[in-house]
Amino acid sequence: MSAITGVGAYAPRFRISAEAFEDAWGQFHAAGVTEKAVPSADEDTLTMGYEAATRALEASEIEPAEIDWLAFASSRPPEAEEDPTARLGAMLALSESATRQVLTGSTRAGTRALWAGLDALEADSTTALVVAADAPKGDPDDGTDHAAGAGAAAFVLESEGAAEITDRAEYAAPYPGTRFRTTGKDETQGLGVTQYDRQAFTETIGGAVDGLEVDPDPEAVAMQAPDGKLPYRAAGAAGVGTDEIQAAATVHELGDIGAASVPLSLATALEDGYGSVLAVSHGSGAGADAFVVEADGDVPAVTALEGDDPLSYAEYLRQRGVVTTGPPSGGGAYVSVPSWRRSIPQRYRLEAGRCSECGSLSFPPEGACDECGALAEYEPVELAGGGTIEAVTTISQGGAPPEFAEQQARSGDYAAAIVALETDNGDETVSAPAMGTDADPADFSVGDRIETTIRRIYTQEGVTRYGFKVRPVSE
Amino acid sequence: MRDAYLVGAGQSDYGAFPSESYRSLFRTAFEAATDSVPNGLEAADVDEAFVGNLGVGGRQLGLSGPAVTEHVGLDGVPCTRVENACAASGFAVRQAVQAVKSGMADVVLAGGFEIMSDMSSDATKYWLGVSGETEWERLSGTTFSGVYAQMASVHMERYGTTREQLSRVAVKNHANGAKNPHAQLGFECSLEDAQSAPVVADPLNLYHCCPTSDGAACALIVSEDVVDDYTDDPIRVAGVGAGSDTVGLFQRDTYTGVPASQRAAESAYEMADVEPDELDFAEVHDCFAIAELLAYEDLGFCERGEAGDLIESGATELGGELPVNTSGGLKSKGHPIGATGAGQVVETYKQLSGEAGERQVEAPTRGLTHNVGGSGGAAVVHIFEKESGVDA
Repeated sequence: MSAITGVGAYAPRFRISAEAFEDAWGQFHAAGVTEKAVPSADEDTLTMGYEAATRALEASEIEPAEIDWLAFASSRPPEAEEDPTARLGAMLALSESATRQVLTGSTRAGTRALWAGLDALEADSTTALVVAADAPKGDPDDGTDHAAGAGAAAFVLESEGAAEITDRAEYAAPYPGTRFRTTGKDETQGLGVTQYDRQAFTETIGGAVDGLEVDPDPEAVAMQAPDGKLPYRAAGAAGVGTDEIQAAATVHELGDIGAASVPLSLATALEDGYGSVLAVSHGSGAGADAFVVEADGDVPAVTALEGDDPLSYAEYLRQRGVVTTGPPSGGGAYVSVPSWRRSIPQRYRLEAGRCSECGSLSFPPEGACDECGALAEYEPVELAGGGTIEAVTTISQGGAPPEFAEQQARSGDYAAAIVALETDNGDETVSAPAMGTDADPADFSVGDRIETTIRRIYTQEGVTRYGFKVRPVSE
Repeated sequence: MRDAYLVGAGQSDYGAFPSESYRSLFRTAFEAATDSVPNGLEAADVDEAFVGNLGVGGRQLGLSGPAVTEHVGLDGVPCTRVENACAASGFAVRQAVQAVKSGMADVVLAGGFEIMSDMSSDATKYWLGVSGETEWERLSGTTFSGVYAQMASVHMERYGTTREQLSRVAVKNHANGAKNPHAQLGFECSLEDAQSAPVVADPLNLYHCCPTSDGAACALIVSEDVVDDYTDDPIRVAGVGAGSDTVGLFQRDTYTGVPASQRAAESAYEMADVEPDELDFAEVHDCFAIAELLAYEDLGFCERGEAGDLIESGATELGGELPVNTSGGLKSKGHPIGATGAGQVVETYKQLSGEAGERQVEAPTRGLTHNVGGSGGAAVVHIFEKESGVDA
């Protein structure tokens, strides 16, 4: 048997309402979605996955080094080709020898990752981390895009624990054309053959549930939700009631979260204390997975799904980069990818160095000691991620390096600070410059408390650099 | 060691000149410098040259020093390009003084040049950042406006310095620059203008930031053995000081001062054996309004934390107790990076020679120049003294 022993979930802070779409378009093509989450310009599925995964690890109280199996699932990984799990593992401080899997190509990828994690535990893995993150995108006038939300969920899996996965089944049947993205395209599309699409959805979901050995009697159903209506149309096929689907639904407030749709609904159902949960995904092509989860009602969960920053439709287009032109060309002050890579322990895990001569901390830990000037060795010290703002400015247009012009065009002014980052026990600090995120720049003042997270810094030569940024913490 | 003397200095106009090249601007400055020498000075007299330059508009030319000196007929003369970001030609002047004092040369050209206007504003900004700490500071989203704004945020928090006081720096320097025919932004601005301009990096607005400029400047430094050939009223390089520091602000112990400036000033005052209150005027590095206020404190014009009061008192205006940036400073005169330090010496030479026209300080004896690279990774201070003024 395998069980979920830690749950993490995350959604970006920005929201756009159905009304905002209606004001802009005269209509809104995503039935049943009242508002949805919108990723900030410095977020993508990798950073959202990181946000959910750190929370799942925190909930499970598992040390990152104990994870021996990692999967990342998304219909929109940051790059069409390049394994994001190496970076995700480094961000989370997982062992370099942990097994890694990437699952993509379908909104079913999230449950495929869960499936693969269960397989791994049945083989020789002991502690698995399943991370699903997504942010679908379609043509601006298309229902896929109107529904498209953003979010992530993560689960720690062990052989036993608070939420046991007692059964699983899958089903596939060929239904091309319901939802697809051709190679090289950025927008997901569908032919929009209404009855055909519904049949693909209900047949695969029904097929997966029928394949279960147990006869589920769920209190909550985490059902794939491409919009706010379709999951309820599959109630009959899945043999469940619409109330149970609604109990775990996130689509109405967060939108279509693609491959993270079912994982996120499952996460909220477990956090809400439901004892018996049926999770059923659907991915175009088409296929479905069904899982039966029996929980004791007290599954450790850390979630951050609230968002209270409303966007207008114009701001939404800016934030998503629909109406911006991309970074300006240029050169100078260039940080090469190899030099960036050397700084990854600092960018991802705040690794400072303790001087072997005087014992004080330097950041970054290279060259002569900031304190005593000795060219000594540094003992690595990972900072805790909390600190205080020492100096800060709000960068307006004209004040941003051109590498950040695209981000600024999308997200507007941002805070840039020098922060005193603390050690684990809070006794020592070392200063580092950091960009503000996740809050209005006016929310950053000298003396304020901050915490670090990992975001996109910028993309140059097609390669996205990720690193720590800071956000305010309310005490 | 032998004494070194400033016998001539000149500059091109500062501004944006699509029809000029970095070489033609340098030629203008060179000719203005040689023409300013009271008894004349020929190219053939020059033993050595040091030329400050950052990047010729970001093109990163090699041998950009000889490229300008050969253009003015100095081919054959040993020439070294000096790069210390915005302090490049301040350090070129220092190199010239060292060459003279050491006895290796009698007549040395110290100049600088930069072309910054012949590319897109994006390309300019890419390039400006090269003098910052690129791997951490810049990637937190800052260029120098942001870093100086961070210094301002702490100065305001700790000492109560105000946005209005920052704006007063702009008002003063524009009032001076309006009297300087070489100034790029040679117009006056009101306190209201200087307070209501668009924000660049809060609390700094556009009027708290210097422009990007094309321009060149040259100074001629000679030894005590030959000074009488060139002038009857010698101006001695009385003090020289320099310092360096971490390139990134975040690695320093203080954000409310520039330690490299403090070290440079201390050495220069000691060598010149003068106190700040013995100065008659100063050209300081006002790349941003807060930088001028920090300079007041770093150079000992006032106590730490009191720069806001000092600008507000009017003491640093033309006609005040210690006029600062009579040229208009970087803010109004312009800031062609590699030329700026030598350009400060040009203003000093004009003031001490009584050639500063409408902005002339009354009968000055002693002036200071203060040139900073980046946010304080390098700084150099010179004190120039008219010997006839000291003797009198």
